[in-house]
This record gives sequence, C-alpha cells and structure tokens, in this order.
Amino acid sequence: MSAFADYSVRRHGLLTLGVALVAMVVLSAVFAPWIAPYSPYDLDVAVMLEGPSRAHWLGTDELGRDVLSRTIFAAQISVKVALFAVGVGLTGGTIIGMLAAYCGGLVDMVLMRLMELLFSFPAILLAVVLMASLGTNVLNAMLAIGIIFIPGFARLARASTLSALQQQYVEAARSIGMSHSRIIMRELLPNVVTPLLVEAAVAFAYAVLLESALSFLGLGAQPPEPSWGNMLNTGRGFMAQAPWLSIVPGSALFLCVLGFNLLGDGLRDMLDPHLRD
Amino acid sequence: MARLILTRLVLFVPTLFAASVILFIAINVVPGSAARSALGVDATPQAIMRFEASNGLNRPLAVQYTEWLGKALRGDLGTSFQNRVPVAPEILKRLPTTLELAILAFLLANAIALPLGALAALRHRGTADIAISTLATILGAIPSFWLATLLVLIFSLRLKLLPAGGYTPFFDNPRQNLTQMILPAVSLGLVSSALLLRIMRTTMLEVLNSDYIRTAHAKGAPEWIVITRHALRNALIPYLTVGAVEFGFLFGGVVVIEDIFRLPGIGSLVLVGIINRDYPVLLGSALVITIIVLFANMLVDTFAGLLDPRQLRPREAGR
Repeated sequence: MSAFADYSVRRHGLLTLGVALVAMVVLSAVFAPWIAPYSPYDLDVAVMLEGPSRAHWLGTDELGRDVLSRTIFAAQISVKVALFAVGVGLTGGTIIGMLAAYCGGLVDMVLMRLMELLFSFPAILLAVVLMASLGTNVLNAMLAIGIIFIPGFARLARASTLSALQQQYVEAARSIGMSHSRIIMRELLPNVVTPLLVEAAVAFAYAVLLESALSFLGLGAQPPEPSWGNMLNTGRGFMAQAPWLSIVPGSALFLCVLGFNLLGDGLRDMLDPHLRD
Repeated sequence: MARLILTRLVLFVPTLFAASVILFIAINVVPGSAARSALGVDATPQAIMRFEASNGLNRPLAVQYTEWLGKALRGDLGTSFQNRVPVAPEILKRLPTTLELAILAFLLANAIALPLGALAALRHRGTADIAISTLATILGAIPSFWLATLLVLIFSLRLKLLPAGGYTPFFDNPRQNLTQMILPAVSLGLVSSALLLRIMRTTMLEVLNSDYIRTAHAKGAPEWIVITRHALRNALIPYLTVGAVEFGFLFGGVVVIEDIFRLPGIGSLVLVGIINRDYPVLLGSALVITIIVLFANMLVDTFAGLLDPRQLRPREAGR
C-alpha cells in the first residue's frame, strides 16, 4: 500500500473511531437508566471505597455508590450541557456574524470588535466570572459556556457570509427585489451552515471540557448529581486509597473529548478538502 | 518600527477599556446579584438594601463603573467584602506565582511543539509524523486538571518523587521552587502543546511546499540552511499568532491548576472571589489576568508585524 493510501486509511480510521466514541457517549447518556447496573444515588455504607469487584466493576465511591453507574449517568450532564451550550453559541454567533457581514460598515466594525474582545478572554475565566453573577448550577454553566462560544461562531459565520455575498445568486436575488430577511434566510443561511456545523462538532468537545472544569471547581453540576468534573473533584480527596475515583471519570471524559475532536477533524477534512495536508 | 509599536500601544488602551466594561457587566449581569451572593439566599430585602447602600451598589451601574475605573486607574481595585483588605496589594503579592507558572508551562509547551511539529512536517506521512500527530490528538483531549490528578497520583503518591502541592518563592529557595512547579507546569504545558504542535506542523508543511523553498533546494542550499533559515523562520509567524492565543487559554487553565496544587496565585484568588462571593476580589483578579493576556497578544502581534511587514499592509491601506 502506498504511503498516501496508508495515510488516507488512517484518517478514515480516526473518523470512524471518533464516530464510535461519540456514539458510545450519546448512547450511554440516552440509555443510562437501562444500562447502568445501579442507581447513581444509591448509598451503601457497607461497600464504601471498595475497589473493582464482581458486584461493582469499577469500584465504589466514599458513600458506597457504584462508580460505573455514576460515570454512565454523568454522560447525560455532559451531552446536555454540550448540546445547549453549542446551541446558544451557534445561534447567537450565526445571527451576529451574518448580520455583521450583511450590514457591513459601522455595524460590522462594532459587532466584530466586540466579538474579538470576547474571544481574547480566557474561556474558563469568563465562564467563572459569568457564573459568579448568574449563580452556580448546571443551567447557568450551559449558558455561560454558550456565551463563550458566540465569538468563534460569529467569526466563522461572518467569513462564510462574506464569501456567499460575492456569489451571483445573491446578486440575482437582490435584482428581483427579494427582501433582506428572505435573502439572509433563503440564500445565505444554507450556504454558511456547513462550516458552522463542522465547527459545532469541535465546540462540543470544548463544551464538555469546560463543563467538567466548572464542575471540578464546584461551580457546575452540584453533588449528588453525577458529573465527570465533580466526580474528579471528589476523587482528589481519596487519591491514595481509591485511585479509581480519579481514573474512571477522567478516562470517560478523555474518551468523550477525543471522540468529538476526531469527529470534528474528520468532518472538516471531508467537507473542506483544501484543509487536508 | 517605532510607529508600529506606538500604533499597537494606542490601540491597546481602548481594548483594555472595553475589556474592563465587559468584565464589569459580566459580574453585574443580574441586578442585585452581588448583595444576594454575598449575604446568601436567605438574606432579607432589608439586609440586601443595607449591604448595597454600604458598598455603593445601589447606584446606577454606569456610576459604579466610572467610580471603580477611576480608582482602578490609580491602582486601587477596591476592598474585599469578606475581610475588608485592599485587593490590589493581594493581587500584586500573588502575581509572581501565576506568571511563573504560566511562563514555565508556555516554555515547556513550545519546547515540545516547535521541534516535534517541525519534525512531523519534515517526515510528512512517515512513521514520525503519524506518531507525533497521534500524540497531539491524545494531548489535545486530556483535560489539564485530570492530567494534574494523574501526575500527582504517580509522581507524588506512588513514586514520592515530587511534591503534590505548596509553593516556595523562587528567590527564597530556587531549587525547592522549581521542584514544586514541575507538576503544575507539566500539567498545563503538555496540554497546551497539543494545539501548538498541530499549528507548527501545518504551517511548516505549507512553507516546505512553497516555491522559495523549492528554489533554495534547486540552488543547492544545504538542507539544514533551508530548514532553519527559510522554512522555520517563515513558519514561526503564524505559529506566534496562535501561540499568543494559546497563552490566553493557558491563563484560563491557571485557575484550575493553582487550585489543585494549592499555589497562591491570582487564579486561586479568582476562585476565592467566587466561593466567598467577594466581587471586588473576583473583578480585580479577573481584570489583571485579562490585562496580562491582552498584553501578551499585543506583544506577539507587534513582534509578528516586525517579522513580516506584509501583515501591516492591509490595515495601513485601509486607513
């Protein structure tokens, strides 16, 4: 097999791995009540901090709860937060980016300078600051992460809209007197949606990471609700006697982020061939 | 060159001003949240009113901001709600810890990304490229706080080689300081190197496929001269720009890593601010981190402009 063919097979393999990992996380989240062996909230003081066993495959935590079940249920929080946050970022960013490109001039300058500025803030810092005001819970974590995503999507939407505006079909739409809103919705939006969806796959990974970081700091999902971030935070206190409390949720988080990253990279390669090396 | 630096400095001032407005609005996005958060959910309306009056929070937001900005420009970032001590000296005391962590992590990230990224491009589609790209993919998916936890588990608890936390100022005991900073810097730096590695590989590949590299080869220039003088130098310009953005991300990571390793830096002060609902502390520490990030971005932007004057032309033409 030639080096190029070998390389293509590897890239295809990585995309497949990404799809498999994402499917595993999503299916775990959706079917958690049926596949988890125990309830994530069931306490059993008789088996506190027990290592992996036949009854508890991945051990138990400091309250005797099944770590495997909590890890499976934690996927629900991650998928929920990522979906909502990416939805907020995608919607807000698309509206702002398209508006900036379509209006141009002062509107473009003001909106995009604001986006650049928001983009330059360290994401976790901005999320933490927003949550100080909004309050610390999962819903506000979703909102804060979504707001952080807006500038990235806005920049992409603006660039794609500017490119679409050069096309003849937009000129044709204008010449037949189509209204601005119809041009934006009918002619421009379908042409900017593909790169935005590819970006959304990558943003998913980042949303999962950010939610976990916030929960790790005690600002996102609050115990006893299981989240990989707050499970890792709890695990910190028992690292010497129960390392599985750190290893298991961390591995799940790693595989989830890896899956979304591979999926995003693969989609980008497929839909935007000039980005391939 | 002087004009370029001056222009960047002049542009930095409104950027900083706008950043401070955004932070101020973000913290006060829900009216009355400062008092409610400081006093707890069970606070009576009377207690909230008293708290707001005593801290000047009952005035319009614009007035509060103007007063805060005026004081901030004189170096006064307010007084902690919690213990009534001035915020600015506390931040100054913690600044060296955060800067040391960020700089060490950034140096490590670049020490990994530059040579490995260049090597991957030079061995494009070879075994080295595949191994390095796989490493970048894995590093890019590891959360820094999980990596930190694993490193503590292995190197502190199991092997007992490195401390799991604590901080000694560098000038008090350099050896102990560096020993304590290894795990925090590695946790942040390894994760940050992932993006830099990918960027270095991509930009180096683009440069290696350009006409002037082919010309240099055709003229018989030795391979190492082509790589170091022509390819690396040109690949560094886009790399630097992404590097500045990554430096910003790295500062976000500082908040989590300082908490894990109990480092008394500004990142942990941000957390103290949010946990104690101490808004002057939160606002002051978040502002200082933002200033450092924006300043780093400006420095790199200026440096990239000096390396490649073509970057300036579109803006100058637009003026």
